[in-house]
Amino acid sequence: MPFQPDAPYDAVLRVLDRQVIGTDDLNVCKVDDIEVTDLPDGSLQVTALLAGTPALLPRLAGRPTRWMLGFWERMGAEQADRHRPYRIPLELVDDIGTDVRLNVPKLDVLERADLGPGRHPLRQLLALQVHSHLGDDFGHALDVRVDERHRIIGVIAGAGRPGSLLGYDRHPTQGPAVLRWAVGFLHRHTVYIPWEDVEDLSWETSALVTSNPSPTALRELPA
Amino acid sequence: MKRVLSMALGILTAIGGFVDIGDLVTNAQAGARFGLSLTWATVAGVVGICVFAEMSGRIAAVSGRATFDLVRERLGPGMGLVNLLGSMGVSLLTYVAEIGGVALAVELISSVDYMLLFPIVGVVVWLVLWRASFSFIENALGLLGLALGVFVVALFKLGPDWSHLAHQAVTVGKPSDESWPTWSYYAVALFGAAMTPFEVFFFSSGGVEERWSAKDIPLMRSNVIIGFPLGGMLSISIAACAALVLGPLDISVSSLDQVGLPIAVTLGKLGLGIALLGFVAATFGAACETGLSVGYSIAQYFGWQWGKLVRTDVAARFHAVLLGASLVALGLLATAADPVTITELSVVFSTIALPLTYFPILVVANDRDYMGTHVNGPLLNALGVFFLVVVTVVAVAAVPLMIWTHMGS
Repeated sequence: MPFQPDAPYDAVLRVLDRQVIGTDDLNVCKVDDIEVTDLPDGSLQVTALLAGTPALLPRLAGRPTRWMLGFWERMGAEQADRHRPYRIPLELVDDIGTDVRLNVPKLDVLERADLGPGRHPLRQLLALQVHSHLGDDFGHALDVRVDERHRIIGVIAGAGRPGSLLGYDRHPTQGPAVLRWAVGFLHRHTVYIPWEDVEDLSWETSALVTSNPSPTALRELPA
Repeated sequence: MKRVLSMALGILTAIGGFVDIGDLVTNAQAGARFGLSLTWATVAGVVGICVFAEMSGRIAAVSGRATFDLVRERLGPGMGLVNLLGSMGVSLLTYVAEIGGVALAVELISSVDYMLLFPIVGVVVWLVLWRASFSFIENALGLLGLALGVFVVALFKLGPDWSHLAHQAVTVGKPSDESWPTWSYYAVALFGAAMTPFEVFFFSSGGVEERWSAKDIPLMRSNVIIGFPLGGMLSISIAACAALVLGPLDISVSSLDQVGLPIAVTLGKLGLGIALLGFVAATFGAACETGLSVGYSIAQYFGWQWGKLVRTDVAARFHAVLLGASLVALGLLATAADPVTITELSVVFSTIALPLTYFPILVVANDRDYMGTHVNGPLLNALGVFFLVVVTVVAVAAVPLMIWTHMGS
């Protein structure tokens, strides 16, 4: 039985970069990236956790990263699957709290897999530039809100780095007050776009178009 | 009864474990040159480490997450990696300094040449990291470190003018032959010597390994809130002894034997023997802590298995890092670099790495997803924000001051 959250959660805030632990209490890996899959109705669903250098390195920005990834692949050029990340299907996840608990022991759990058509790493989703159909720029995706069935129900868009909301949007009383105010100020233009409002999503041009030219500001959204 | 005993043991080891080569050297240097006029910097560092260690200890107890897990979870992989390189570099540099410090202390006891001793010390430290249990490192070395209490005894034996010392400690002033930039530089160094990130890495990772739970929080708190300040008292008494004995003679401290000189003058051979034992225990204990911190930080960033409580082959990558760090340390010491100079560098550099480690801890200590009801109270948050400002200012000021004052000379 795969993991069933009891409420919608933000994937970057609650899952990305968390420690993955087996039933034997041994560390397996970090959640270096998350796999999302196209559904027939045009929405997206979280289907697996990704790990390993091919998942982690592309998340670091800049030219040295591409050089490092190339170097890393050359170190094992004979391995045909070296560019593929390790994939942990969501069926193997027992619980996600402060860490990710699997329902299997650590031994032999990591297998490299091709993402294939229709599946995308979350980092590509987070790189999307978010516009309205009238051309208003809302920055890029900072986080995605996921429901109990792991379907993406909304995108948080704004300036800054994914994760820079630090959870202050989810707990309106989270202290210290100074930091809460600072994060709120830096993210004063950050908006929440429900998936119903997504008009078009293009992976090729890395653009997400919303039909609503004035989406709800994140700070006005109930947590 | 068992609880009281373990509480007492925890406090005693926190006192002994607080002092390391950085505290020994920096406090003696600052004491000899500035008297007690920089005591405020040590006090600030001690309060800061209490706030920092309490938060990360509580997070470890409630959520089972060690410090560097949170660094990556809250700063993301990019900034986390920058922090990893910085923190690992500083921990490694401190590791080198501690191994050198043990070798220097053993040289003072045995009169065997330092260059012969450091490889042996390095191998012994590595063997302890590889084979010895966690409680050995924490308890045996922490308790032996209490031998540094001779500095308190010596201070009383010296019978100083207490009101004069207290006046120096609470007023803003400096000796007339020193400049304000050097005074500030030593303030940064003393703050860095007291508030070291590796202490927190070790403390929180140890808590995760020993499977602390919410009911261990009072015990953890007593260790931090009683143990660290008493350790800070040891630091201040080292500075005071140096101020009283070395200050009037215009001796500036550039080697470990000068740190022990006030003890030799006041308490003679026996006192010096105890002090040297304290030096060995304190630096050896800190060598283990810093070595482990190098391994903890990289393993927690990449999600590898780490720790002293699993078999070494289960945490193979962690132990490979410890071995590698030990080899690098021995290589650096083999260049005959002066451990005291390395110490001076490491305490100042550690202040630069501090804000990026402190910030995510402060955020997570307030996050109910991690902490449930055990989030920071208003007082702790006020202190937490105050020290966030302090560590940021210190981190920004450290290198310019270092260059401006030619490392305080």
